[in-house]
Parts: sequence; C-alpha cells; structure tokens
Amino acid sequence: MDGKVTVGRTAGLYVGAAVLRLAIFTLLPGIPDLLTGRVEISTPVTSFKRLQEGLFLYNHNVSPYDGGVYHQAPLFLPLFALLPNASSYPIFTYLLYIAVDLLSAGALWKIADSGEAASSALFTSPRKERRWSGFVIAAVFLFNPFTVATCIGRSTSVFTTCAILHAIAKAVSGNPFGAMVAISFAGYLSLYPFLLVPPLVLLCYDKQRSGRATKSVIPFAATSVSVVAGVVGFLFGMSYLITGSWEFLPSTYGVQLTLSDLTPNVGLWWYFFIEMFDSFRSFFLGVFWLHLSCYVGGLTIRIRQQPLAVLTLLLGIFGIFKPYPSISDTSLFLALVPLYRHVFPLMRYTFVIAAVILYASFLGPAFYYLWIYAGSGNANFFYAITLVWNLGQSLLVCDLLFAVLRDEWEVERPEMVGKEIRQI
Amino acid sequence: MRQFLSFFLVSLISFCTLSTCAESPTSSADYHEQLVLRPLPLSALLASFNFRSNITVSEFEAHNFRLFPRSLAQILQHAGTRELHLRFSSGRWDSESWGARPWDGAREGGTGVELWAWLEAETDDEADHKWLTLTNALSGLFCASLNFIDGTRTTRPVMSFQPEGDHPSLTEANTHLLFGVLPHEVVCTENLTPFLKLLPCKGKAGIASLLDGHKLFDSSWQSMAVDVRPICPAGGECVLQIELTIDMVLDIDRSKRPRDNPIPRPPPGHELPCNTSKPYHSHDTCFPADHEASQDWTLSQIFGKHMKGTCPLTDPAVPPVCLQVPNSRSVYVSDGVLEKKNLDRVSRCFEIRPDANFEMVLPSPSKDDQQATSLIVKPEAPLLYAERSFTGHGQERGGVQTILRNPSSDTEVEFIYMESLPWFMRIYLHTMSARIQGTKGDDNSVIQEVYYRPGVDRARGSQLEVRMRIPPASTVFLTYDFEKSILRYTEYPPDANRGFDVAAAVITILNKDEPKTGRFAAYNLRTTSLLCSLPTPDFSMPYNVIIFTSTAIALAFGGMFNIMVRRFVAADEGPELGLKLLKTKLKSRFAALFKKFGVGKAKGDQTKEAEPQPAVTE
Repeated sequence: MDGKVTVGRTAGLYVGAAVLRLAIFTLLPGIPDLLTGRVEISTPVTSFKRLQEGLFLYNHNVSPYDGGVYHQAPLFLPLFALLPNASSYPIFTYLLYIAVDLLSAGALWKIADSGEAASSALFTSPRKERRWSGFVIAAVFLFNPFTVATCIGRSTSVFTTCAILHAIAKAVSGNPFGAMVAISFAGYLSLYPFLLVPPLVLLCYDKQRSGRATKSVIPFAATSVSVVAGVVGFLFGMSYLITGSWEFLPSTYGVQLTLSDLTPNVGLWWYFFIEMFDSFRSFFLGVFWLHLSCYVGGLTIRIRQQPLAVLTLLLGIFGIFKPYPSISDTSLFLALVPLYRHVFPLMRYTFVIAAVILYASFLGPAFYYLWIYAGSGNANFFYAITLVWNLGQSLLVCDLLFAVLRDEWEVERPEMVGKEIRQI
Repeated sequence: MRQFLSFFLVSLISFCTLSTCAESPTSSADYHEQLVLRPLPLSALLASFNFRSNITVSEFEAHNFRLFPRSLAQILQHAGTRELHLRFSSGRWDSESWGARPWDGAREGGTGVELWAWLEAETDDEADHKWLTLTNALSGLFCASLNFIDGTRTTRPVMSFQPEGDHPSLTEANTHLLFGVLPHEVVCTENLTPFLKLLPCKGKAGIASLLDGHKLFDSSWQSMAVDVRPICPAGGECVLQIELTIDMVLDIDRSKRPRDNPIPRPPPGHELPCNTSKPYHSHDTCFPADHEASQDWTLSQIFGKHMKGTCPLTDPAVPPVCLQVPNSRSVYVSDGVLEKKNLDRVSRCFEIRPDANFEMVLPSPSKDDQQATSLIVKPEAPLLYAERSFTGHGQERGGVQTILRNPSSDTEVEFIYMESLPWFMRIYLHTMSARIQGTKGDDNSVIQEVYYRPGVDRARGSQLEVRMRIPPASTVFLTYDFEKSILRYTEYPPDANRGFDVAAAVITILNKDEPKTGRFAAYNLRTTSLLCSLPTPDFSMPYNVIIFTSTAIALAFGGMFNIMVRRFVAADEGPELGLKLLKTKLKSRFAALFKKFGVGKAKGDQTKEAEPQPAVTE
C-alpha cells in the first residue's frame, strides 16, 4: 500500500461511505428506528429517541432536565431545533450524522498521515515502515459495521467521537489550542473525555512547533488546562443561557456519576448496580470511577514517549469501563488500533480476541432477545455476554499495551527481535 | 329515695329525647340515607347507598361534631383539609351493557384507592407535609395502605379537578390540590368496617344493615366513596357536608347462590330459561333467553340479610329505599310499608316503619307484563366510552392506546384526560398522537391543550393532562410510546413478575352549562387500570454478580498493571521463577544438609543459583 492517494480515491472513499449510509437510511426506512432502540447502540446518555423527547419538551417550553428521560448536553437542543423536524424531514438529520462521520474520518486520516503512532517526538519504532496509509485507516473506520450501526442509530456519541478525533488531529499537527478546545467539547458532551486531557497535553507539548515552543512542561500544562477550563466554563454559560437554570448539571453529569438510570447496555456497571446492596452503592460508585481514572496516570507515566498510544489505550479502557458504554466507544477504539499496525506482529492473542469479539457481537443481540422478548432466558444471559464482550476487549487492550511496550524495549535490545521473552 | 331518683332520671331522659326530636328541626334534616336499587341488563343489579350528614362550620370548629364522625373530623382539622375525596373501588363498570354510571361518575374511583384533597397551606412544602399527615392518618382510619402514597404517587392536577364545595375564604395561592392513587391496593372487608363506623347508626339499623363484606366484595363492580365539602347556601351559615356512598353492581345469579352451597352448577335442563321464539327451539335445543327476563329476587336473597328498620336519626322526609323498575311491574313488600310510585313512571320509593324488618320481593314478571312493556328501565347511554390498553410486546418498551368513542350523533364532547403514571414508565410525549378513526395521520383539532410534567427517577411520577374534543359519532385513538426501565433489585415487590399496576386514567367531561349550573364536570369516568411488566434481574444472585463483575475488572486491572510495572527480559535471563526456582532451592538446601551431616558428597554443591541479570528498559 503506497502512501500516494489521489484526490479521486479520497473522494471515492467519502462518497462511498456516504452513499452506503444514505442507502441504508432511505432504502430500509425501518432500520434507523430499529437500531435507535437497540441497547448496544443507544444508551440513556446518547439515545436519539431521548434526544427527540428532550427537543420536544424544549420546543414546548418544558424544561427537559426536569424529568427522567433526557440526560444529554443542553447544546444539542438548539442544534437540533435548527434542523427541520426529524420525523417529518428525516433527511436533514441523516445528512448531519453522515457529515459528522466523514469529519471524524478526515481527522483520523490526518492522524494516520502524521505517522505519530510509529515515530513520536521522543521515540521512533524500528518497525515504522510497516504502516497503513490514512486512506486505509479512514476506510477501516468508515466501513466498520459498529461505526455504520452507530451512525444509522443516530446515537449522539458520534459527536463526542468526532470531537476526540479532532482533538488528537489538532494535537499531532501542532495546534495545542485547537486540541484543547476540541477536547473541551468532547468532555462537555459526555464527561469522560476530560480524563484524556493529561496524555493529550503531553502530546501537544511534544508536537509543539519549533518556533514558539514552551520549554518547560509545567507552564504548558497549566496553560492547556486553563484553556480547557475557560472553554468548558463558556459552554456551561451558554447552556445556562439556553436552559435558564443549572439543573442540567445533575441531569447530565450527575446521571453518569451516580448511574441512576440502570437501562441495560454493553458495559459492566448496570447489572452490578441493579444487584448492589443499597448501603454499598455509593462506595462502589466511587470505586468504579476511581478504577476508571486510575489508568490515566499509570499509562501516561509508563508510556511517556508515545502519548498517542496512551490515548488509544485509554479510549479502549473507557469503552469497557465507563458507566454507559456502547459499541460506538468500541468503534472509536477500533478506529485507532490500525494506527499500530507496526506492532501487530508482537501481539499474542489476535485470534482469540477476534473470535471473542465476533462471538459476543453475534450472541449479544440473541441473548438480549431471549431475555426481554422471548422470556426463555433471564437477565443473566445478557449479563454473561457483556462479561465476555468486555473480557475480549480488555484482552485486546492488554495485548496492545504489551506490544507497544515490547516495541519500545526492542529499541534497547535489538538482538531480542523475534526471541522469546518474559516479564519479571 | 332511690325509686324517686330513678323515676326522675327516667323522666329526664325521656324529656330530653322528646325535646331533641321535637324542638330541633335541624337535627333530623342534618342526616339522611337512601338506597336506590336499579336492575340492569344481563341479570345485574345496581345498589347505590347514600348517607349524607351536615354540620355547621361553627359547630365543627367548636368540636361539637354530633352526626359528623369525630375520628375523621379531627384528622381533617389536624391536616388543614378543606375538601376531601376518598375512593375505594374494584371491578369494572361495563358501560356497553350497563350504560351511564351512577351519580354521573362523580362518586367513583379507579381500581384501588384514590384520594384527592384541597389543603390549606402557604407553600408547596407545607402542603406536602400536611398531605403526608393526612395520608398517614387516613391509612390508620381506613385500614388501607394510604401511607404508601408518597411523592412518586402524588400529583397536582391542573385541569381535571375543581372543588365541589364553596370555599369563600380560600384563594388560589393558599389552596393546594393533591391527588394520590394506589392502583395495587386490594379493597376488602377491612376497609368496609371502618367505613360503616363513620355512620351514625353504624350498620346496625337502616339501609346500612344490608351491607355485608361477603356480598359487597363479591360484586362485579363496587365503589366506596367519602366526600367532605363545605357548602355555603346564599345567606345562610356555611355547613360542612360529609357524604358516604357505596355503589355496587351485584350479579343476581351469583348473589342468589345459597351460602352453604356456593359452587355454581349448571341448572337442570328443564330449568334453563329458553328463548321459545327461535325456530330451532325444541325439547333438546335451547337458545338462552335474555337474562333480564329472569330478574326476580328478594332483598334478603341478594344481600344475605334483612334490612332492620330505619336509622332513627334519618330525615323522615327522604324515603330510605327506592327501586327503579317500570311502574307496571308489581313488587311485594312486607307489612306496613307504604309504596309511592313516582311520576316519572320508572321508579317507586318505600316508606318503612322504623322498628320493623323490611323485605321486598321482585317477582318474575307475569306473561302480561312481558308483552306489555320492557321489564327494566333501559339504561341511559353514557356521554363517552373509553378503553385503554397496552400495545407492543416484550419488556423493553411499549405503547398505551386509549380508544375514546363519542356515541352522540349531534353533540361533540369536550373532556380532560388525565394519567398519573409511575416513574418507571418513561413516556415519550413526542410520540403522542390522536387519530380519528377512518382518517390518516394526526388530527390537530382533537387535542386542544396538553399539560405534562415528566417523571423524575425515584422521586416523582409523570403527570399528563390532555384537553380533547371529539366530534359527534366518531372514535379517537390516543396513543403514545413509553419505555420500561429496569429497577434496582430491592425496588421490586416480592411478586416482581406479576407486573406493576398502572393507575386508571381519569376522564372528566366538561360541563358546557357550567356558568348556569355551577358544576364543573358533566360526567366522570375512569378507564381500567393496567398491568405493566418490567424486565427483572435475577434476584437470587447479587453475590454472584458482584463476584463475576469484580473478577472481570480485576482481570483487566491486573493484566494492565502487570504488563506496565514489570520489566522485559529474555526467556533465559533473569532469576528463575516458579517450579524451577523451587527445585533449585530445594536441591541446595538438601546439599547443605547432607554436607552438614557429612553423608557423602552431595551433587547439589555444583548447583549454582542463577544471578539475576537485570535487563534495563528505561
């Protein structure tokens, strides 16, 4: 695969992806609403149906946050209020979602073409010649069934995905301010991207343009964090102006922090907190959030030389352990994994991982059907398959971490390439 | 001396009794009771018991309660209640065959218990506090689970209810209407006993002596109502009126079953009432005759008891028992009872001696009667028919569909449809649509106004009020979608898979002549309650789930940090680990031991412990 990509191929890829989505939207009109209702795609904090309900209440001057249905960011309301009604003119909504997917693919393309994954400022992989071009990586993202299903299901997590990818793309192209603004948007939309700020700051620091580089990392980090705080403060102010009160804060972020809505999803939290004893609920909520955030420091310090790898691994972890994960988070992680093609030979369990993920993807909907509709299974069926799904994903994350670290190690021990190793 | 004293006492008592009877004309007018019996089609009988007593507000405030039940009065005073309506209902009113509801539906509730009251309070919090006091006190008084009416089951209706009484002293700001409903409550004998205790004659005399839990709760439909409202006549003193009402629809065939042999058995062939006009009627072929033909009963048969005279406190001007059958039918009553046929030709009332038992027999009609006129009074058609049901399948989401039919051929009907739904039914208001049968798509003229207050998880139920207008002779489908949420396992009742009861929708048909008559509602009706099944977790395995999930998390956490903190070395570098290490150690120990005891030359001497060769990664 050569790096040369003509304009025609680029356009062909984007048009192909857009036509595929548009064809599903228009030729199979039952599919969008079917996918919108799937628990694997729509969580309480990203569901398009809940967005429509919030929009309906917002348009009729009822506060959408004074209720248990709408838990999404307030800025979605004026954005979707500008579009014509989604039930009578759905085409505008479809075009918006397709455009967001293409924008994400564009950002991913930029990240891939920068080569940051294989050769960062502090580290250059000995295998860096082995990589896929941006075209292939964008194509893998755009034609990933998980990405397509998320787009057709009109989950609002695509906006978060787009913001995160743009934040990374800005960072690798040496635009720290843009990166911080983009990550602030992502965090404002779904809270967990705030945990990506430390590695992203390091990535920005490493990729500063040589002309006006800040020497020390501490002032740089302080400036970046204050930019994030400023942008988030501005977004909250806008939200306050739109909704007229601060009650959106407990209803959007409070729900993610306390998991008051226990609708099933592909994650580990929902069944755990259904079955949790009331006296231990707050304790375990704290433990789960602490667990989610403990990887940030560890990975950032351990893989200091490759901040993009930290971001990729963290996105994988968030796709497993965040309160309301969906296949959209997996699709974001799987979009970044191909950037590490150079370490694929170092991964040990590729076949097992692929088999487990495929197994869970096919059995998950079946087991959910058995529980909810057929009544021949119970909640444990779906719970068991989410366990398998998450174990498969965590195996992938661990294996990628192993491969990245071994790749780093082999720079110091070039003679160990292809040899058997162990860890002490 | 003693004889004289006792004589004096007796004469004093008799004087007092005489004087109260003779001198205070208000005391008898303050209380009256009446039973109205109305045969309905399909061998049903509607019995409406009504007990009403008045007390002037000044006496009420002076704690001089007289005929007003003291227990209830003190609760009302304590909770600052200005008007109270309490309903205990079960069963379903079959309006297709029984027609319009008694009292125009004003004295009935949905299945279970309903309570609404106007409380005097300065703020919402104060009103909530008083409401809590009221529900807890009433819970004890009526032996019902009214104390379970918490924030999630309480709503503040905006359009559906208006006070029935006169409240000259209250303003909008300091009056709070609260409405609570318990659809799951099973109404039974333990609610009837305290109800009867509120009556001046306590069920010992008068029409209340007919009330028996076995018959009342065996009926096809029953509703017990308590209404307290202030009434201010023009120019007179305000009175507080309490009205206790029991309506029941008895299945005559079932009521007539003897109590010692209650198992229904098919009647022998010669006793079957057959429709002889059918061409295929013969000695072995029978088309069942219309049930109303067999409407013959005695009062003691259907109620299982005799009526014991009249309550001495009742107003003698109001006849205690009335029967609504055409005047052409003959009715037999016990001695000394005066039958008065009313001018409307379809009802008659009976004046009863206070001390004698009353019995009434409605005989099966003679051949002449059958040909002459209809045997029972044809029921009036209601203003609106309403049916509500769930749509969809599965335990994830569903829909609610209400079919509303206006039977009138020339007048449109305007009403308010109110639902108070539990919070775990997350309704999607944007999917609500009203469609007139035979047309496509939404009809914007049907829904006039919507008031919606979304539910908050674990804190507040959803409240939906829709003002609708249905054109003559048309049927409207009101539909909306909802999602069933999954609860914490401690929030499920013990019978979780039975489902959760959803309260009846309250439909209030607006009175077009409200300015003239002063009545807000022309007719009320309730739909049936619904049973909503939610997805359930496995209740047996909280420990297993905690362990499995924790294991999955530990695997990921352990795997990640294991890779992160440990150093890479080649397979043959670094210290021996595991079994190899153990073997080496054991060998060297044994070698040392052998050496110490000087048992030959141990080979273990040559074993050399591998020096750790740290492979530096950073």
